[in-house]
Amino acid sequence: MISLPVVLATAALLFAVGVYGALSQTNAIMVIMGIELMLGAAMLNAVGFMRYAWPDAASGAFFVLVVMTLMAVEATVGFALVIAAFRNRRTAELDDLTELRG
Amino acid sequence: MSNWTPFAILALALGGAWAVACVEQAVAGGRVAPAHVLRRAAAQIDQPLAVPAGRDAWLYHLAPPLLLVAAVVALATVPWAPGFRGVDLSTGAILFSAALAYVTPSVFMAGWGAGGPLAVLGGFRFIALMLGFAMPLAMVVTAVAAPAESLRPAAIVEVQHAVPMVIVQPFAAALFVPAAMAVALLAPFDLADATTELEGGAFSRYTGLHAGLIALARKILVLAVAGMTAALFLAGWQGPLLPPAIWMALKTGAVVAGMLWAGRRLPRFELERLLVVAWIVAIPAAIGVIVLAGLITLLFYR
Amino acid sequence: MSDLATALVFWPSAAIMLVTGLYVFRTRSMARAGLLLLASLGIEGLVFLSLASEFLGVLQLLMMSGEMVIMVFFMVMFMADPGGLMGMDMTHDKRRSAAVAAGVAAALGAVAVATDWPGTVVTGAAPDIEQIGFEVMGRSMLSFLFAGMTILFAMVGGILLAKHGGRLGIPAPAGEPRDEEGAP
Repeated sequence: MISLPVVLATAALLFAVGVYGALSQTNAIMVIMGIELMLGAAMLNAVGFMRYAWPDAASGAFFVLVVMTLMAVEATVGFALVIAAFRNRRTAELDDLTELRG
Repeated sequence: MSNWTPFAILALALGGAWAVACVEQAVAGGRVAPAHVLRRAAAQIDQPLAVPAGRDAWLYHLAPPLLLVAAVVALATVPWAPGFRGVDLSTGAILFSAALAYVTPSVFMAGWGAGGPLAVLGGFRFIALMLGFAMPLAMVVTAVAAPAESLRPAAIVEVQHAVPMVIVQPFAAALFVPAAMAVALLAPFDLADATTELEGGAFSRYTGLHAGLIALARKILVLAVAGMTAALFLAGWQGPLLPPAIWMALKTGAVVAGMLWAGRRLPRFELERLLVVAWIVAIPAAIGVIVLAGLITLLFYR
Repeated sequence: MSDLATALVFWPSAAIMLVTGLYVFRTRSMARAGLLLLASLGIEGLVFLSLASEFLGVLQLLMMSGEMVIMVFFMVMFMADPGGLMGMDMTHDKRRSAAVAAGVAAALGAVAVATDWPGTVVTGAAPDIEQIGFEVMGRSMLSFLFAGMTILFAMVGGILLAKHGGRLGIPAPAGEPRDEEGAP
């Protein structure tokens, strides 16, 4: 009963939740959380493909590993940026960090 | 994994927790009173539930069950005997690390959920400590799995039929045991929730059933961590004369007694020193241990 | 895993994953937001397990707990109202982002349902950990190397961004005004 479209649709919903979070939150850390949800949805897609379309491809698992690594890397760089922004401007709200806005 | 495995693991968890409590009494130098332990546990659960006023209800009530689930899953991954291997996943060693990794959010939830400043501080102290110690814990498991060419704990036990891993990779054991004691909330690493630190720290605001669940979960954690140490480093159930289960029980009991004894003898370490040791010494040493494990595997185990 | 067991694990896990993911952005308390994200992505690990990816599921469970605990740490440090007790609204453009999110979900869902995917017979388990290991160390070694270097650069760059005075290490001048908390 669980087939590839079901898994992909679930991943699409998770991606949409991530998009909602990344677009609607003002704090940089909450945006990072939205991006983590989007990357989670990408991983779910890859696992679904590995299970239902190409069961012998270990490169799908490797893709998921790389995406997991990227989640950590993105969080690292994001938090470093938040620390730097907070140290210089005492705020991590994206609405206040608008110096480069054109 | 047969149909009886979950029941066996639950029975092992409850019986093992009781045994660990008796060992605690023995190590403390008092008289061992096994029935008294059970009476005290029943009295603890009978106490009324008094919740603090400033609590975060979801986090406060979810922390003890999460700790218990983490402890029982960690216990389930330990290989106890050739016939009773618990949850025999091919990635069992990583499941062990993953289950132990959920102790940290549980302690944080307990501290934050209680709402008092000292409890919150205890929760954050534990996060700071475990961020440093979680990596050596997981990396050393990888190093120990290398000679076995498998992450299945039963396979790691079987590869030690000639010589225990503690002799082949002593540095791995030296990194694993303190990290395991820290994650099991044992002294001398118990700066997050000792009764004399921060007025009891992260778990201080729990009474009644919650406190009983937390005490049970802590004893199961000690048993799980000691069992995995015996399996990974002391050759688990391998031994000359006695049946395998008896060997495993003896080794686990020895490790439990050793950890509890060390907790009573050593003074509690302070956080700054532990963090310095964890980040500057332990993590590079863990990487070195992995490289060394690769060399040892190529030289001796192939 | 049998079909029934897969369904028993997949549907509740997927539902909880989506609901907790949505509540991450609707709750006011920052600790709860971080822990809800842990619940969501951790239960995604259970979804991986139900889809017969044992190694990836366990790895996801392991990594998410560490990451989310760090995230809660940072949120309590840097956000204005970590307990959520003052009822500040920390969102902007809620309706527009909800519309964009719904549009994205509809588009991706349409592609997922309408495409004619290759119909393969589901054989057994996904690649087990030994095959993944050979894949990583063999055919995908170049990507693995690049991923490793990316992590290294991210670590070094993150530390440089975060340290006092930035990459040049210039300390703050002595007479710089400090607010009551004494932060530089």
